[in-house]
Amino acid sequence: MNARRGGGSGIDEIRKAREAPGPVPRKGAGPVAWFDIRHRGLGQFAFSLNRITGLGLVFYLYLHLAVLSMLFLGQEAWDDFLGLAATTAFLLLDVLLIFGLLAHGLNGLRLALIGSGRGIDHQKALYRSCQVIGTILLLGAALHILGSE
Amino acid sequence: MAARTTDATTSAPAGSRSRVWLWTAGTGVALLVLVTIHMVAHHFVVERMGCLRTYQDVLDYVGNPVMFVIELVFLVVVTIHAMLGLRSVLFDFGLSDHAKRLTDRGLTVLGVVTVAYGFVLIGVLASRA
Repeated sequence: MNARRGGGSGIDEIRKAREAPGPVPRKGAGPVAWFDIRHRGLGQFAFSLNRITGLGLVFYLYLHLAVLSMLFLGQEAWDDFLGLAATTAFLLLDVLLIFGLLAHGLNGLRLALIGSGRGIDHQKALYRSCQVIGTILLLGAALHILGSE
Repeated sequence: MAARTTDATTSAPAGSRSRVWLWTAGTGVALLVLVTIHMVAHHFVVERMGCLRTYQDVLDYVGNPVMFVIELVFLVVVTIHAMLGLRSVLFDFGLSDHAKRLTDRGLTVLGVVTVAYGFVLIGVLASRA
């Protein structure tokens, strides 16, 4: 599907597929295809990144709930945990979390715009803008978190 | 776009696919605001080591009625978004219609349990404030 490789014909194909009745061919052949970005365009890379960061964030949601459950045990248990959570290794994981949130959130916003018919002709520019904004926010967050150590 | 194309191969009616996409996109946009509030309030206004809250800080935070409501809304929205995302991932495995129905039910139960547990956690902490 040329749509994956970008370019004018790709956009035409997306438009044609959008207007055609019945199912639209999917981008990959399943989860294994997420990791295979050979001969694929920016769209496929963004799709794979969204899926992988999404799964990571769902894992984090449950990890976060499990960690917060320590609050049930009272002040001593929580403050013991804080001693571990304030180590550099843990703070680097916080930075990784923020990377996941920014990558998934900004790319998701781009997908929501395109899916609702806005900015279809500027997909690459939108993606690059998200990358720039995300990188600036990530650097700021990393400096704040690690700088407070 | 990706969310639409991925789900487009399913045998679900077009209206259902569109509804799922709208919920995923809608909760996603809401999450951009809610996650920002959550992260800033929890980690970026705290000046201590590693920007982490102490036990008393956490109790004071959830004891604030505005933050209490925001956290509850955040939990509901993030759980809906997460379950819809998991659904898309699982449907990528090319499940049969029967398996898809089971997946839908399983994720609904998981989502309800997650929200219920989170409500209990936030409620207990707020009651200690």
